[in-house]
This record gives sequence, structure tokens and C-alpha cells, in this order.
Amino acid sequence: MAKTIGVAPTRMELLKLKQRVSLAQKGHDLLREKMDALVIEFFGIVKRIREVRAGTMQQLSSAYRALSICFAMQGTIETYQAAREVTKVAEVDISTRHVMGILVPVVEAKPIERHALARGYGIHTTSSTLDDASREFERALGDLIKLAELEEGAREIALELEKTKRRVNALEYVILPNLKSMVKFISMRLDEMERENFSRLKRIKAMLEGRE
Amino acid sequence: MSFKIVTIADAETAAGFALAGVREVYIHEKKEATLVKLDELLASEGIGIIFITYSIAEELGFDFKRRMRAKKALPIVLRIPDKTGWVPKVDELQEIIRRTVGAEIIVKGGS
Amino acid sequence: MSTDRIIQFELARLNAHLPGQRITLKDALSSSNPQVVAKDGSKHKFERMELEYISKIVHADDWDKLRLPILIGVNPKLGRGAAEISGEVEVKVISQVLGKTCRDQEIVIYRPEIAVVRAKLPTTTQYFFMVG
Repeated sequence: MAKTIGVAPTRMELLKLKQRVSLAQKGHDLLREKMDALVIEFFGIVKRIREVRAGTMQQLSSAYRALSICFAMQGTIETYQAAREVTKVAEVDISTRHVMGILVPVVEAKPIERHALARGYGIHTTSSTLDDASREFERALGDLIKLAELEEGAREIALELEKTKRRVNALEYVILPNLKSMVKFISMRLDEMERENFSRLKRIKAMLEGRE
Repeated sequence: MSFKIVTIADAETAAGFALAGVREVYIHEKKEATLVKLDELLASEGIGIIFITYSIAEELGFDFKRRMRAKKALPIVLRIPDKTGWVPKVDELQEIIRRTVGAEIIVKGGS
Repeated sequence: MSTDRIIQFELARLNAHLPGQRITLKDALSSSNPQVVAKDGSKHKFERMELEYISKIVHADDWDKLRLPILIGVNPKLGRGAAEISGEVEVKVISQVLGKTCRDQEIVIYRPEIAVVRAKLPTTTQYFFMVG
């Protein structure tokens, strides 16, 4: 049996094995805490996503409606032309924050001018429907930028959570039970060897005494 | 750091976002061409967010999903409804929840 | 044993997100870009709204005593789901978030409370896993 285990049944090996059990147990307990913490983070973000999503979808609907009106009132070609003429550029600032070993993006919209002239489409096509559509899409954009930040964060936390969970399970269901059964086997073998040794010594002693 | 926003959509949706200042657009026509463009955008520096409509993502199918799994953190790819408002039946967020948490029971206490 | 090496690696990685140097509330409030840098060079930004919230709880005289981020200390010996907060000012801030009053140097908080703290102060608190 010692051959299949591959470890010699000595006290030294037993000690090393017990240390490995200790390390694996510590690793398991700490990684499980990390897993629990990641679950808290994940559900925190999911809650925020749910809060933001409903309002965002509504705003986007408003924007599409305003755009339809614009197509109807201004004309299709004119609307596309105005869209092409817009001069302002919407950009985002992206920084990072840490969540336990992973980096999660922090996304902020760079401020956009509200004034119609700054919107860029020529004064000759000034129309309130165009302004309405622009405004509605600007609002929608703000919401969507926030949603992008949250959804990406959720995605990354979920990935890390999956990875951590796999490690915890490997430790709990495979590695620790294996190590513990090896410890048990070697302990038992050592006890057995000691008992054999003890009774051999007794027989030798009896033989020696018998000779006298 | 400053990053750009790009829209992959139909012409109308793209126009709407252009009015809001999202000037870089790609109008979707054929699946293959759009995938090429998507790969190009995913690889380039300087892009922070890509908006892509649910309809197009659905049409790109597994090729889209695979890229989403493999991509780096940036650019963020956000699927949005187009003017039809179409969204897939399966709520991906629910799926992720089910997959990552599994059968764990979550006690409501601020989570 | 390779599994031992993986375990050691994961344990070392547990606190990789923590900054090499924390900064005081005072410095964070006066900075135009309040952030800390982790050992691997990656940056962590503090949300201004959180800083302002904390500055209202902490007496101005103590602004240079509070180091950010506030650490949520996870020690398996406390039992699963428990964590400790150390430091008089830190305890004051966390207690306030939880709607409690506490003048201790150290408190233990539990999972639902940790969730509340993390929701209120996501960038100014960080988990700290006690490996040693």
C-alpha cells in the first residue's frame, strides 16, 4: 500500500503531510472568505444595475420616439445631415478601482455642451424637434455610460468569483480529503509498525531470558 | 484617461447617438464584415465603450459571445436596444447569477 | 507539491489589490485626483462623494489621522462571515454608516453589515485578508 501512495511511512513524512493539510486548510478558509466577499460585491453591483437599467431603457425609448418625430418633421435626409454636422465629441474618462485582486473600470462622461450652437448643426436648420432628439439622446448616453461601467464591473467580478469558487471546491472536495486520508493511513501504518516492533522486542527478550 | 465611444448599429440608431456626440459609427450590413470591424475595434487603443444593438449581437450569435468571453476589460461592450426595443428573451444577468452563485442561498440583509 | 505552490500563489494574491501606501483623509480631500497605487502599479481612485461623506463624520482635527482606504479585516479565526475594523477613527466612520454608536478601538461586523458598508463606501474601504 505504501507503494501506491508513494510516500514512505515515516514520522518525517507524517509531519510534512500535516503541514500540507494545515496550509490547504488555511488556503481553503481564506479563499472561501474571498468568495463570500465577492458574492457581496457581485450582488451589490447587480442591485445597482437593476436600479439603473429600468430608467435607462425608458430614457432610450424616449430618445427613439423623439428621433422618429424628428424624421417625420424635419425629413429623413435633413436629420441624417444634421447628425453628420454635429461637431461636439462625446468622450469618457476611464479610471480603475480595485475589488480584491481585480481591477474594475470607473467610467465618467466628459461634460458636453448643451447650447444648440455648440451642438454643431447649422443655425439654418434650427428646429426644436432636432434639439429635442439631441437632448433625449444626450440623456440616454449619460445613463448608458453608467450602465456600461456597472455591467463591465459585474462581468469581471463574476469571472473572478467563478475562479475562486473552483479553487475552494477543489480544496474542499479533493485536496483536503486526499491529504487527510493520507495522514490517517500513514498514522495507522506507523502505529502498526510500532506495535510489530514492540512485540518483536518482547519475543527477543523472552528468548534471551529463556536461555538463561 | 480619455476614451472614445463607438456605435455599431442600424443607420437610425447611429444617427440618434451621433446627435449626442457619438460621432464614430459603423452601420451594420453583413455579419462577416461587422465581425471584422468588431475585431478591429476590440484591438484598437483609445476606445472606451462600444454600443452594439441587441439585434445585431443576436445575429452575430456565438461569434459575438466568444469574443465577449475572450476580450480584455477595455473597450467595454454594451448591448442596447434599437428603436424596435427588441431584447433577447434570456436575461443574461440572471444567467450569470445562476452560474456563479449556483445553488447557494443568499440571505437578504443588504445584498 | 504543485498544489501547495498554487495555494501559496493564491494566498499571496489575496491582498495584491491593497496599496503600498495609504493616504490620509486630509490629503485625499485636498487632492484633485485622490487615488492610491497598488504594489503592482495599478491605480485605485477614491470617489469624491465618499470622501465628503467621511469628512462630515470625522472631526477636522482627525483628518490627518484617518488613513484610506479603511481596511475590512478578514480573519477566518473570527468565523465565516465576520470581519474586524481597527482604529478609533475608522470604527467611528463604520459605526456611523451602520447607524450605530461605538467608541471602541476595534469592532467586529458581520456579513449583512459588510454589505451595507461596501455599498456606501465602495472605493474608500477595501478587504484585507489576514494570511499570517
